[in-house]
Amino acid sequence: MSAQVPSIPSNGSVNGNVLLEAKGVTKRFGGLVAVNNVDFTITQGQIASVIGPNGAGKTTFFNMITGIYTPTEGTLTFNGSSIAGLKPNQITAAGIGRTFQNIRLFANMTALENVLVGMHTRLKAGLAPILLQTPAVVHEEVRARERALQLLDYVGLGRRIAPAAARNLSYGDQRRLEVARALATEPKLLLLDEPTAGMNPLETAGMTTFIRRLRDELGLTILLIEHDMLVVMGISDRVSVLDHGTKIAEGTPREVQSSPQVIEAYLGQGGAEEKLAQMKERSHARTA
Amino acid sequence: MSPAVRTGISAGLLAVVVVLLFGNLSGVVLGLLAGAGAAILLDSRVEWPNRNAAIVGGATAGAVAGLLILVGQFIHDLFLMPLAGQPVATAPGSTLQAGLIAVVLAALAGAAVGAIVTQAERPRQLGLLGLLVAFVILFPFLDQQIQLGWTPTVISVLIYVVLALGLNIVVGYAGLLDLGYAAFFAIGAYTTGLLLSPQIGINWDHPLSFWLVIWIAAAVAGLFGLILGAPTLPLRGDYLAIVTLGFGEIVPIVFRNLTRVEIKEPFTGTCLIGCDKAINLTGGEAGINPISHPWLPLVGQFRTGQDLPWYFLIVAIIALTIFLISRLRNSRLGRAWTAMREDELAASSMGIDIVRTKLLAFAMGATFSGFGGAFFASYISAIFPGVFDFSVSVIILCMVILGGLGNITGVILGGLIIMMSDRLFLPQLATLVKNILNTSVLPTIADPAMKDFVATSVDPSQFRLLLFGLTLVIMMLVRPEGLIPNVRRRAEFHEAEAGAEATVATEAKAPAK
Repeated sequence: MSAQVPSIPSNGSVNGNVLLEAKGVTKRFGGLVAVNNVDFTITQGQIASVIGPNGAGKTTFFNMITGIYTPTEGTLTFNGSSIAGLKPNQITAAGIGRTFQNIRLFANMTALENVLVGMHTRLKAGLAPILLQTPAVVHEEVRARERALQLLDYVGLGRRIAPAAARNLSYGDQRRLEVARALATEPKLLLLDEPTAGMNPLETAGMTTFIRRLRDELGLTILLIEHDMLVVMGISDRVSVLDHGTKIAEGTPREVQSSPQVIEAYLGQGGAEEKLAQMKERSHARTA
Repeated sequence: MSPAVRTGISAGLLAVVVVLLFGNLSGVVLGLLAGAGAAILLDSRVEWPNRNAAIVGGATAGAVAGLLILVGQFIHDLFLMPLAGQPVATAPGSTLQAGLIAVVLAALAGAAVGAIVTQAERPRQLGLLGLLVAFVILFPFLDQQIQLGWTPTVISVLIYVVLALGLNIVVGYAGLLDLGYAAFFAIGAYTTGLLLSPQIGINWDHPLSFWLVIWIAAAVAGLFGLILGAPTLPLRGDYLAIVTLGFGEIVPIVFRNLTRVEIKEPFTGTCLIGCDKAINLTGGEAGINPISHPWLPLVGQFRTGQDLPWYFLIVAIIALTIFLISRLRNSRLGRAWTAMREDELAASSMGIDIVRTKLLAFAMGATFSGFGGAFFASYISAIFPGVFDFSVSVIILCMVILGGLGNITGVILGGLIIMMSDRLFLPQLATLVKNILNTSVLPTIADPAMKDFVATSVDPSQFRLLLFGLTLVIMMLVRPEGLIPNVRRRAEFHEAEAGAEATVATEAKAPAK
């Protein structure tokens, strides 16, 4: 581990413990069943991916884990306690950080401020101490800024970017800043919603390596939604496939790749064999 | 034309408008302001090679502005005054003298600013702050000396500046459009009125101390900020505005009607409060009167008509307000407000409790208007429900928008511009135009109907709201972000260039793979 790696407090769990468990989770919007009776577990230290065609319910599933939606049915257990029905900020405080599919930075705030906002739940300063500017508050603020700068360094943006408004950053840098902001919440579980969307192949490769580093260096557990199969197959320990809100397959990347249901969901019936061969070829080409 | 001369002219032209209205020695105050203003404006446009160049540039800009003021002074004394039927009170010599003083002061102010802006970051800020503080402290004495009589108006203008600073928290930082902000002003003022008058039976001979009551008023206003904020929590944008508008209307009406308060126990009908005689809590339309004044050792009792203590009190309140608000702004809570304004969902996902953050914004905004309300009640010594109507909320909102949402300096500047125009410049313009009409125009019109029409229709004070509206419309079209939009403007601008280069570089690299 290099010296500049910011420390994220370990929760004391050992690799292999179940960190997040979803049982029979269902979300209905009126008559539409967006997510249907999904069981899902992720264990400490895993990188897991959720894939599926557009509209399969992946983001809805994410939004239930992060508290934006409340599941219609089913239970969600994180680190031993139920999180279904909690508000997003409570879930963040419990230790789940996230990024968004369409980047949702605070566009007019600086890069540094974006990261500092991520630290909100980890800072203690209350109203009266802030108005009185007690030594504790000053100290906390100084430390928070130093840590935010470290995080900017860690995600590869560098400290020089700190005073830049988020909206002025390049697309790839904005994605990195979103990760830095999510890391600032000190998560145990990090949810990345299509982290490589809109990136060119070079940036995608960089992001893939980076996600692996997050797990290896910070000991994070990571759950991805991803469309880029090369990324998914390259870094995932487990892959779950959603189609029309239902989980149709789950397993190692290799198992999922050869599952007939998955191929059918993605490519429709017929032509499946041919496409599967292509897919395998591409993934071999990349590993080579 | 050099940039120094150009900025001098623009600052001078603004000052001349005021000098044309007031004449006499108003050029002295305006000279100082225009000189310093021109130099600051100049600094934002020019990179200085060295300090001497900055001093010379500032002095030039100041002198040019001063010369315009000199010209304005001559026009006022030798042309406008006779036209308005007033004898030329001052000889041309003294007009020249007043003008030259303005030129010298403007040039000196410009040079001083020039010397300060070329310092390093820290002394630069302290220097500019020092200049400002010196001007603020000297202003009432200067005003007395040159018999301008602006201080009472400035005091009432500064009350509105406090309110604008408070509203800026709600609208500027937290992005919650509040159209009923005058309600909290009213609550602060009425709390003060009740506690500092014999209205609810507090002994008039031994009134409570103003220094205690101002904090109570702020706390009560803050509490009502929470209470009135709570029902608006699920609302956004237009709907929030409508509900706050409703609260703004309700509060003065409640104060208007709390004249016969008696509370009965609901089941048995036993009287609990106001049994012998229903309590007249707020005095209805007539309001509460009199309200006692603050007392300080050395200064003694503050009196109506003695402006100095009041002036320094309101300046102190503003200083405290700015001090506290900037601490909030740069804290965890201030960042939460901004994040919530930018993207509520993302903010919530980053751990910010939206409910608490919104309520805190309402409460803090209301607290500062409580300070303003307490000062207002004691200063005017009487309050009526009519003072706190919708137009007050709108004016305060205009001040915030004109100056620049979320920027303390901008809000203060916007507040000063709007309220000074409204309270000082427009009435003076109205008097001047009326005098000119009466002496020089009306006698030349023969037709009585025409005469009547001109006399009634050419009255600038009637166009007050029209001018207001026009200013806002023009502002929204030309500069929607306000006069001073963003402190980090310069840094962001440079980063934008850097960011663009980075993007180009990545794109150039990509195909090479």
